[in-house]
Amino acid sequence: MESHFSEMREMSKQDSSLTVSNQIILMLRRNDCHVTLANSTKDYNNYACSDMKKQEDVFFLQFIDILSNRDVCMYSDMKRRVCRSLVVTDIVKPEVPFAINVTYEREANEYLIRYCTPHSRKKYLKDKLVHQVAYRRKEGIWKTIESPYLQIKLLGKNLENEASYEVKVRSQPNGDYFKGTWSEWSTSKSFRTAREQRSTESYSSVVMVILSILGFMLSIVMIALIVVFWENRIKPAVWPDLPDHKKTLEQLCKKPKNNFDTSFNPESFGNVHIHKVDGLWAKAELENFLQPSIAPETSLPEKFRGVSDLRMIPVMADKNSLNLPVSDKGVWPAEALHRLLGTSQFAVTEGSCSSSTYEVCHGNRVPLHNTAFNLSSTCSLDPSGQPHPEPLNDDTVTQMLPNSDMRSPNNEEAYVTMSNFYKIQ
Amino acid sequence: MFHAFFRSTLPVLPLLLVLSPVNASSCAMRNKTTEIRVKYENILSHDINELVNMSAVYPDRCCKSGKNKRNETIKVFFCNDTEEIESLQSMACNMLRFLNKQRISKAFRWKAAFVSCRTLKILQCKCERPKKEKVCPEVFNTEDTETGEQSKKKCYQEVCELKENISSLRSCWNKFEKIISR
Repeated sequence: MESHFSEMREMSKQDSSLTVSNQIILMLRRNDCHVTLANSTKDYNNYACSDMKKQEDVFFLQFIDILSNRDVCMYSDMKRRVCRSLVVTDIVKPEVPFAINVTYEREANEYLIRYCTPHSRKKYLKDKLVHQVAYRRKEGIWKTIESPYLQIKLLGKNLENEASYEVKVRSQPNGDYFKGTWSEWSTSKSFRTAREQRSTESYSSVVMVILSILGFMLSIVMIALIVVFWENRIKPAVWPDLPDHKKTLEQLCKKPKNNFDTSFNPESFGNVHIHKVDGLWAKAELENFLQPSIAPETSLPEKFRGVSDLRMIPVMADKNSLNLPVSDKGVWPAEALHRLLGTSQFAVTEGSCSSSTYEVCHGNRVPLHNTAFNLSSTCSLDPSGQPHPEPLNDDTVTQMLPNSDMRSPNNEEAYVTMSNFYKIQ
Repeated sequence: MFHAFFRSTLPVLPLLLVLSPVNASSCAMRNKTTEIRVKYENILSHDINELVNMSAVYPDRCCKSGKNKRNETIKVFFCNDTEEIESLQSMACNMLRFLNKQRISKAFRWKAAFVSCRTLKILQCKCERPKKEKVCPEVFNTEDTETGEQSKKKCYQEVCELKENISSLRSCWNKFEKIISR
């Protein structure tokens, strides 16, 4: 009896637990079979008692009112009663979690552990629990993690590779209103960790190092190129200098050099024969000139019938045409005549017209405005087509056309130059 | 002089006895708002949600004037400002009278009585005469019946009144909970 009373006095809250479900179950553990426990509650001045049911070493009582305190009394064989008051919301023991699931996330190298609790479908302890996950390598030391949620993640770097692990879960009220003890451990779940991923990591690290080195070198090269080409190319393209109007005007208004040959003074053209040129006739002449060897034999006699014409090849008659610069003496430059005539077509007799010089020749001393100059016959040709040497008369060459706009009776035209425009005005 | 003393003081005592029950509150938890709030948030709010879900099974069209053959006006409860506890007490005590209405499903009326008893217990209130809270120990000692009787969904006057009462009780608790949470 004494022992029973002492045991009753030592009875603490750890010996009792409250299972909160659809109906509250109060369990008291007593090893002594000779003890009867009763539970009483006082509501509205009514003190109602009920005996707890015994099953093995556990006493059960089902009730639904959790707002009232409970008085647990133990009756021994000696009919002595020892009571203790319990706040049922402070001795809550949740139900065991279940359905543990382990998933490996390769990209993140993490292990996702999910589990379920029966209280998720009930009303009082839903979202009021804290869960404890314990894991270890086989036969190793248990490590625990607590979480209020129904899943946690284990980092792969904290676990050994290609090793076997086991995990289990239990729950406890979070202490905001409901307090109590841990539930029983769930059944263990085993899983195996993945292989080491160093190759992937090392490969990625090498790639990163190479890319960083290339990027650094490229940046150095770009900086060097910018420094070298800044003044000459980059800056003018990006920030071109604005033209200085003063310098531009000075360049435009700059006086020509003393020995500048170009002049628009009509008097400077006094020593140049100026002939009118009929456009169509000039074109025909050019065509004749540019014809093969047969053409010149037939056409030339007509052109040079008793007349050695002073002609100037028109400026643009053929692709072979060219502008012949005229010197003060009326002598065509040798290279120009070479290009125009071609030494193979028109042979030059020795002594009269040397291969190196060409002279304007004429035949019947006809005024120059009525004559056409035919370069094809550097020396006048006889009807046979052979070049005929004729001395050059400087006077005739330098003779000024008295009437430039007069047509020759045989349609000989002269070129119109700037001086004619001056005279017309 | 002795007669004058009694003549002047004697009427005061009956007056106090008559007036005191009017102003005295039958609820003892008036100044323990924190404890009320904690119990409501963790326990009673879940029970009220379950009761509202059971009430939603009965269609609202039953309580419109066309369906109500008796055309009786349904008693409306107000949650008066600064008198939320008294309003809740009145609603809970009124809801207890539906416990014995046979035309309402047993699970439904039992759940309504259960919520009423818990409301009175949290507020530590008693009902005015008749003392309806005496049925609460019986309610708490009865096993929680699941929603087995789903066949009785007809439109009765009692059902409409109970639905209205449940709605008023929930609204008043929400209002009171916001006030005491400040």
